[in-house]
Amino acid sequence: MTGITRFFNEFTERNGMPVAIYLLIAVSIWMLLLVALPQLTMLDFSFRQNLPPPQIGGPNDVYTLEQYRYFAMGNEISGSSFNALDISVLFKTLIAAALVTILDLIICYPVAYLLAQSSDAGAKRLLILALIIPYWVNEILRAFAFRILFGATGVINGFGMQLGLWDQPIDFIGQNIALYAGLAYAYILLMIFPLYNAIESLDKNQIEAARDMGASWVQVHRHVVIPYAKPGLASGATMVFMLTAGALAAPQILGGPSSLWFTQIIYQWFNNGGNWPRGSAYAVILLIVCISLVLMIMRLFKVSIGEIGR
Amino acid sequence: MAKDVTLDRVSVTFGDYTAVDDAHLTIRGGEFFSFLGPSGCGKTTLLRCISGFQEPSWGEVRIGNQNMKGIGPNKRPTALIFQNLALFPLMTVAENIAFPLEVRGVDKKARRKRADELLEMIALPDQGDKKISALSGGQKQRVAIARALAVEPDILLLDEPLSALDLKLRQHMRRELRAIQQQVGLTFIYITHDQGEALTMSDRVAVMSRGRIEQVADPKTIYDNPATGFVASFVGENNALKGVVLEKKSGQLLVDTGLGAPSIATPGGAKGENLKVGDPCHVFVRPECISIDMDTTENNYPARITQEEFEGQVRHLVVESGNQSLRVTQMGYGAEGAHLGDSVKLSFSPGKAIALPVGELASA
Amino acid sequence: MNRIRLTGLVGGLYLLLFFVYLFGPLLVMVATAFNSSSFPRISPWDCLTADWFVELFHDEKLLTGLGNSMIIGFGVVLVAVPIGLAAAMVLSQVGPRLRSVMYAMFIAPILMPGVVLGLSTLIFWDRLGTVFGADYNSLFYNGIFLTIIGQVTFISAYSMLVFLSRLQRFDPTLTEAALDLGATQTQAFFKILLPYMTPAVLSAAVLAFLASMENYNTTVFTIVADSTFTTVLAQKVRYGLNPSISAVAVTIVGITLLAAVLFESYNRYKKRQAQPAPAKPESTGFVRAITHPGFAAGSVILLAFAAVIWVNTYDSSICRAQVDAQKRAYQEEFNLQERPAEASPEATETPSAPAPKPNGSSIFAPGNLAPGTPETEPKSPSGGIFAPSNLAPAQ
Repeated sequence: MTGITRFFNEFTERNGMPVAIYLLIAVSIWMLLLVALPQLTMLDFSFRQNLPPPQIGGPNDVYTLEQYRYFAMGNEISGSSFNALDISVLFKTLIAAALVTILDLIICYPVAYLLAQSSDAGAKRLLILALIIPYWVNEILRAFAFRILFGATGVINGFGMQLGLWDQPIDFIGQNIALYAGLAYAYILLMIFPLYNAIESLDKNQIEAARDMGASWVQVHRHVVIPYAKPGLASGATMVFMLTAGALAAPQILGGPSSLWFTQIIYQWFNNGGNWPRGSAYAVILLIVCISLVLMIMRLFKVSIGEIGR
Repeated sequence: MAKDVTLDRVSVTFGDYTAVDDAHLTIRGGEFFSFLGPSGCGKTTLLRCISGFQEPSWGEVRIGNQNMKGIGPNKRPTALIFQNLALFPLMTVAENIAFPLEVRGVDKKARRKRADELLEMIALPDQGDKKISALSGGQKQRVAIARALAVEPDILLLDEPLSALDLKLRQHMRRELRAIQQQVGLTFIYITHDQGEALTMSDRVAVMSRGRIEQVADPKTIYDNPATGFVASFVGENNALKGVVLEKKSGQLLVDTGLGAPSIATPGGAKGENLKVGDPCHVFVRPECISIDMDTTENNYPARITQEEFEGQVRHLVVESGNQSLRVTQMGYGAEGAHLGDSVKLSFSPGKAIALPVGELASA
Repeated sequence: MNRIRLTGLVGGLYLLLFFVYLFGPLLVMVATAFNSSSFPRISPWDCLTADWFVELFHDEKLLTGLGNSMIIGFGVVLVAVPIGLAAAMVLSQVGPRLRSVMYAMFIAPILMPGVVLGLSTLIFWDRLGTVFGADYNSLFYNGIFLTIIGQVTFISAYSMLVFLSRLQRFDPTLTEAALDLGATQTQAFFKILLPYMTPAVLSAAVLAFLASMENYNTTVFTIVADSTFTTVLAQKVRYGLNPSISAVAVTIVGITLLAAVLFESYNRYKKRQAQPAPAKPESTGFVRAITHPGFAAGSVILLAFAAVIWVNTYDSSICRAQVDAQKRAYQEEFNLQERPAEASPEATETPSAPAPKPNGSSIFAPGNLAPGTPETEPKSPSGGIFAPSNLAPAQ
């Protein structure tokens, strides 16, 4: 305890009482009231029954694993032993997020590399500016743009049919192509910038030296560039994965009937399903899964959390 | 109104590391006092103890007989000139100077008036509205001093203020600082690693090494009568002849210094007095105290000049005798004197040969 | 040599494709805003029109949402910026181990899915409301309040990052000097630190405002009964697809471009002010005038005014009437089971592609409905588990 009181005394001395109070209150409100308590409440909720308001706090309000059980097992009525729908949706979401992340990595790596390698500073600034422009419109409009492109009467189908490439409109949406293209598009910026920063700081001489020693381009990238850019890769991959797995707008707008996103299920439970406890449980599941995967990615790439920042 | 500063057995430790070890001295009010020593010797830490940014681990700091324990830097009658000057970049010159008054609630007109007065004093009139970035190094120095003086402190602390300036400017500022101190009559506590500064500006100097205060005295005494081997070797150039005490007689020592014949030396200070026959010791002789062409009865040795350097005002020689080589400094070119390769008569007076116990020397 | 050229070529091609991917959707979207057809498309091109913009400005729901978004934005700035500053300052004062722990804690809200932040906020304040026995009109259930709270949770982290980088370059001896000269810690904070942080405060405020305006995932949970710009937009996209949404995009891009040009020209202007006279003599006065940043800004502003005036005055009703007539005629002909007309569509001045193919889908294609019908894709039940995905008519 004396350690804490000593900390407070030093802190107050260092900042003066008014400022010290401001600092402590601001940070506490943020961490406790805005972050910790809501999360704990959500966690608590996830262990409760879905009761109508009058019964809350009453005798029926006991702790239960019912909501989690539902996620795993589904309705007792349906007869099947597993909640195939919800579980598969979770898996599909995660796999889709992973695919989108990999897709973004593949798309963005060459761009980041070429951008970092170019020596013309003016062109670089211009290109960077060009990269930012698409993100001035918000994510809803970006998804909308893809909707226009990929809809049955959309631009791509229109062109394709006019050019005689195909007769019937291709169902891009039902095939989830629209969704993947849209999701990959949505987070390009977040993938490119960490990559670009990481590659930019690499000493060009290293690449030249490797080439000089006879390494092929593949080897150069594999042994020189990529290991160096690992923090950037991990940073970008983490952000894209988390945002994709947690995306709501794009699946709602671009998703076909077979591409349900886990977040959409959560959204349902809160809106039409009217089952907040269940929604909370699902949210907790999503949170845990995402955090675990992110920690795994970080450990895989051997980066620490301090390196993930913009 | 100048005040005394007393360090009463002050020690500062950081974990296992001792930055200041038992500093015990009193700086008199109105004095120009310097702490001299190499980097890491603890002088900055001591300065921070006096100014209030560091509390001593042991001992007391007293200003004007008042114990400063627990009193923060903003409440002490001290003002500190930082090594990087710490002028506020977003404020003008006048705003910088007036800042101490501003935080004391002095109104705008009075502040501006005082700032103008100080600007006059540091010979920068009408520069009040300039931005700090528009000033030269020397001008920034003076603004920092003016700002410190605005609060009328009893003690002005200066942390190596001249180290960032070039040679000519440094020499000029030395004279200026001394002049300001005498004009305003404050106690100046000055820390530096440049002995030239310490010796020319100070009333008294404290030489420090590794957290310990080696000697406190006026510049002449520090130079002529160093109390320890470190002081002898750090201040000015000095030859350190390692030897053994052979005899002790009528206040002088006969030491086997490896010059061929024993030397007569004077014991240096209290430590020197404690030397006994058979003790190893260092005999320090300043290069300018050694002659190469005199016939003296004492301390005269045949020698040879093995190096010669011409440095404008003086020339430096290395003279070897016995198994020792000594540096000798002579004024002028010595057109008629001996040169490289010549045999000479190396001599020095016993009064200028200080014998001290073997101890740590300043690294070259 | 050839291989280098080849890789350069391949690289250039790749970049080109990439930027097509990046800008293509946007350009298409921008173009559809000017096409009078009621489903956003660029071919066939019916008429050049500004009507969608007009409709936009009369869209009550959207305007209300926009108003709410601005209120929320200001609220978020007022709360998130001070919190971010406090967090950055605390981080700069603690020891290294505590620091990395706290940093991880502060960054966590950014890494959490927005929906989780939104719904946890909703649940918490709902529970809190029942504890206090508050009724539904109170703060605890107010969409605006909850959204501000929910967004602040992660936007504070963004603002903290802005402050951290600025704070790291602050010279701590300045604070020491202030103290030494007699200032209290509080005075040193207000007179020395805060003025230094001012640019960061502005950056953080702008960042917070923009992040708040464009947020969807968290907002959609916390907004309860109200609406914001993004939620209204999302509703429109899901249920009422028409080019007025494209018009929104064009407006946003236009405003942002305007702001960017103004900002850039302001920066250049300040740079020129700070510099002394240029070393080499500038070119002729005319060229100087053109390249003057003020000129660029001025011309952009003029363009903006011109655009607004055009929107308000351009009348495409004649063209639309013609197109509608043509479509009606087309419809009748088709109903009569005759050969699809080729001549009549070309007689009109629609400068667009050849007549749509007479395959089965065109009857159902929304563009061919009788003129009076409002065009929407089939409406889906609101929010069912099968999210409304505007299915192709063939299905």
